[in-house]
Amino acid sequence: MVISPVQYIAIPLMAAFLIPLFGKLNKDLARIIPGLVLLYLSYISVVLMNQIISSNTIIVEIIAGWRPPWGINLVFSPLTGFLASMFSMLGFVIWMYTYNFKPEVDNAQKQKFYVLFMMLITGATGIVLTGDIFNLFVFLEITAISAYSLTAFYRERDGAEAAFKYLLIGSFSSTLILLAILLLYTQVGTLNMAEIALKMPGVDPFMKGVILILFFVGFGIESELFPLNGWSPDVYTQAPGPIGAIFAGMVVKAGIYGLVRVVFTLFDVKEILPLLVIIGMITMAVAEVIALRQGKLKRMLAYSSIGQMGLVAVAFGIGTHDSVFAAIFLMFNHAIIKGMLFLSGTYLVYNSTEKTLDDVDGIGKHLPFTSFLFALGALAIVGMPPFAGFWSKLYLLMAAADVRLMTVIAIILVVSVIEIVYYFRVIHRIYFRERISTIELKIPSFNAKLAMFILAIIIVAVGVYPDLISGFIERATTDLLDKQSYIQSVLSVGLK
Amino acid sequence: MNSLILLLILVFGGALFSYLLNKFLPILRDGFVVLLMLLVNYVFFTMDSSTQIDFEMGGIHLQWAFTSAAFLFGIIVSILGLLSIIYSTAYMKGKDRLGYFYMNFLFSIGSMLGILMSRDLISLFFFWEIMTWSSYFIVIYSGKDVDKRGLKYIVFSAIGAYSMLMAIVIIYGFTGSFLLTDIFDSIFAIKASYQLAIAILLMIGFGVKSALMPLHVWAPGAYSGSPMSFTALFSGALSKMGVFGFALVLFNLVSNQNWLVNEVIAWLAAITAVLATFYAVIQSDAKKLLAYSSIAQLGYIVIGLASGTYLGVMAGLFLAVLHAVFKGTLFMAVGAVERQAGTTDMTKVSGLIRKMPWTFTASLISIIALAGIPPLGGFVGKWMLYEALITSDHYYLVIMVFLSSTAAFLYSYRILFGLFLGQEEPEFAHVKEAPLPMLIPMLLLSGISVLSGTFPGFILEPIQDAMVVFGFDSRIPNIEWWQLTVLFNSWGDKVVLQNVMIAIMGVFLIALAFITIKGYRKQRYVTTKDISSSGEIIQPEDNMTFQIDFYKPFERAIWPLLKRRIDDYYTDLGNGLEALFDLVRRIYNGNGQFYAIYVMAFLALLLIAGTKYFGF
Repeated sequence: MVISPVQYIAIPLMAAFLIPLFGKLNKDLARIIPGLVLLYLSYISVVLMNQIISSNTIIVEIIAGWRPPWGINLVFSPLTGFLASMFSMLGFVIWMYTYNFKPEVDNAQKQKFYVLFMMLITGATGIVLTGDIFNLFVFLEITAISAYSLTAFYRERDGAEAAFKYLLIGSFSSTLILLAILLLYTQVGTLNMAEIALKMPGVDPFMKGVILILFFVGFGIESELFPLNGWSPDVYTQAPGPIGAIFAGMVVKAGIYGLVRVVFTLFDVKEILPLLVIIGMITMAVAEVIALRQGKLKRMLAYSSIGQMGLVAVAFGIGTHDSVFAAIFLMFNHAIIKGMLFLSGTYLVYNSTEKTLDDVDGIGKHLPFTSFLFALGALAIVGMPPFAGFWSKLYLLMAAADVRLMTVIAIILVVSVIEIVYYFRVIHRIYFRERISTIELKIPSFNAKLAMFILAIIIVAVGVYPDLISGFIERATTDLLDKQSYIQSVLSVGLK
Repeated sequence: MNSLILLLILVFGGALFSYLLNKFLPILRDGFVVLLMLLVNYVFFTMDSSTQIDFEMGGIHLQWAFTSAAFLFGIIVSILGLLSIIYSTAYMKGKDRLGYFYMNFLFSIGSMLGILMSRDLISLFFFWEIMTWSSYFIVIYSGKDVDKRGLKYIVFSAIGAYSMLMAIVIIYGFTGSFLLTDIFDSIFAIKASYQLAIAILLMIGFGVKSALMPLHVWAPGAYSGSPMSFTALFSGALSKMGVFGFALVLFNLVSNQNWLVNEVIAWLAAITAVLATFYAVIQSDAKKLLAYSSIAQLGYIVIGLASGTYLGVMAGLFLAVLHAVFKGTLFMAVGAVERQAGTTDMTKVSGLIRKMPWTFTASLISIIALAGIPPLGGFVGKWMLYEALITSDHYYLVIMVFLSSTAAFLYSYRILFGLFLGQEEPEFAHVKEAPLPMLIPMLLLSGISVLSGTFPGFILEPIQDAMVVFGFDSRIPNIEWWQLTVLFNSWGDKVVLQNVMIAIMGVFLIALAFITIKGYRKQRYVTTKDISSSGEIIQPEDNMTFQIDFYKPFERAIWPLLKRRIDDYYTDLGNGLEALFDLVRRIYNGNGQFYAIYVMAFLALLLIAGTKYFGF
């Protein structure tokens, strides 16, 4: 089979439909197939990334023979490819984790879970790969709908309420983005992102501003920016544990990708960037401050996640090459580290109904491996060397210092102190309190341990040797900031 | 292989390995860690001083090398590291989580060596943070009062580290480089206000680790709460990293252009020295006492450095080395008492001198060194410090130092009396001398204390080399170290020790002779007017000594100074912030409608304001 970016969308989508069918044949097949799919996607990620890095081009895939700007096209560039690869590989790790996650959940439920999981992968990957703005909207809807359903996956919890809130706010997001696309179409008469970018300078500034604000708010909801992120703490708390990792690693990342793509490539207006910095700062400060006062583990992680997204927004908002580099690095780090925190944290409060911090007291003796990984993740996310989080924070601060944003540096660092306080409080509890809770502990299955361990290895490896990943991120940064070559390579495809 | 990398691989690899060893072959663990530290010392001392590595990581140019200043501090780290590891093998026997303990112990040693060899700010910060969290994990090792003690330590460390990081990125923003050598050249080109900001931020960073007031509040708890084997290293070597940083910043980045910074630092250090000494005097726990004493001693060191004169810096560095030696010994001795007698509360334990004679000897020597009584090294250091302050016209600072070192006699005496002298209590009759692995490091270190007083040259020689790094020229005549002694000083014009020494020795000998002759008469007849016993015959069970409220009058006298503790201000601040945070939390009230309103309001606001402010 010829490897092409279209498989990123076609294969998981097909798998989503086939899972119930295969589930009829053999009930284990339903949960094996997603793994195979994600393994294959990871494999093509490696091949395609290799291809674009070595040949220094980007792959533009034309769908159904209609070349851009008429047809839909997929763009596999250093940036989109990096994100798509990250999604596939993270997805594979999370699949490994979920394989034996709740053995008591019956087969039909499990099938549903994996169908939705596959849909979500399709949607998130589609958002980053597509070169068509309406297509992006469609993928955003796919992602959102599967995310709503996954939030409400456990009927016995308050998942439905959280899902409803998410649905409510999420539909705002969809409406606003759709509205923005409509308005944009009236102005430029095309839906192809490259051509929109090309025609953008001719658009009436007022309309441009309105459309951009609609996009900003729409994607801002998905990327958890304050004050649009009311949905997210509940969702993280109520969704099944691994789904938290998926949210932090994929859904939100796809959201911020959409925002950044619109701001940097489609509109290329520098005036919105200070807004991004300010909103990012507020998001970060508010979220971290609230996280400090949380009594529930998953809620704490949720607010921490929001805070990190604020940091990413700040980094994108500074808008220089270095800061965008830092932002992409932060996205990567947040995906793996917060992913691991969610995965390990889930086992720490596995059987607890309230999932309060009291439940993790003294758990270090009973679940040494999981606790250790959680502690490692906590050290990494607050930016302690030699873990991955350190480098991204450093690069961000360096970038901010370059443009003399001393206030930004100061606020980031003050917030980091708050972050340290609440993460270390949990470490205290895990290791230095006596266990009083009588809730039965769940020992992670081997595959779950392996999944967490893989993430831990990546965190340490990147922390000790950041050059493992910085080359890819460097290319992705150049790719994002080089609007002209994006337009050029998309519009010139298939011309000869 | 390059010996710098070898050193790091040894320590960090050894740390991980010792963790695994504890899991699978605990019997080999102690031997392994001691052997490892011996190896580290071997590599460290046989290293070629010109060894240097340059490499790129994450697009940042890093450089590692041991300068002579770093080497001086490296000596403290490696030797004290080795001795405290040896001490640990006995001290920690029978405790659980030893793999965790040794791993973090070795991580701290490795990170300290890393800090010293860093010739660029990124590696410095990198190792600094590793040092922070590894030492933090040992601070909370005992599990007692973790939320308060541990959190205080990590929060203050984080504040320090992040101010440092901010300074580092500002420096980078202006000079475009992290290499110390580049920065030293170009730092004075940047704006004066930023220069001051950088200096202050770095001072906060290093001030936290060297426990400078008002950043010291973490130290008493952290020092007294960690296992004593680690505190020896913590107070002896880890806090010296702050001193090392101070020296780097003061002489290379701030320079004497900013004399005000120097003055402020010197005064802060002097206040630290005085107040911490007072706190030390009123402590009844020996560990707490030593913790406060450490803070005070670090104050002297920083005063010396901040005075900025040749002699002052030399005194500061000399005291830094010496403090590591005697405070290391004292913490080990107190640890020995803790292990053998079960408590270090000076109101409970007493009269251990016959039970633990060697521990007492080591403590006595260290106390003499600490109090600055000749002929031990503390005297030499203090003398140099006084001399330096007087010759540079810091008369008020001299008064402060004098006040503090006089008060230091009080606690010096108290710790000796409280633990070792006084009446023997039946409850401590079972106490035995500490095992050999604990005694040997103590006695070796007290040996160094004695040596440093008689032959200060062997410490002053590396210090003199180190000072070249800080921009001073070498002034000591080129002589061998054994020639530079207290009694036969061929050193120079400033410090004339020998006359003083001879006078003091004379007084000492006369006193000794007097006591000997007076005590020669075995029997002593007591008159009825002798109020100490009023003619009664004292029975062994009568308590003739007192240990509770030992310095009550003194305590009463200094009470106004200590009434309102800095600690309380921080606690109030923390509580206030938490209340504020709770208010912020109300934003997310869990009501979906509110969230929807937020979205709409935000959108409306952007649409209204956006056209105005974002210039569409």
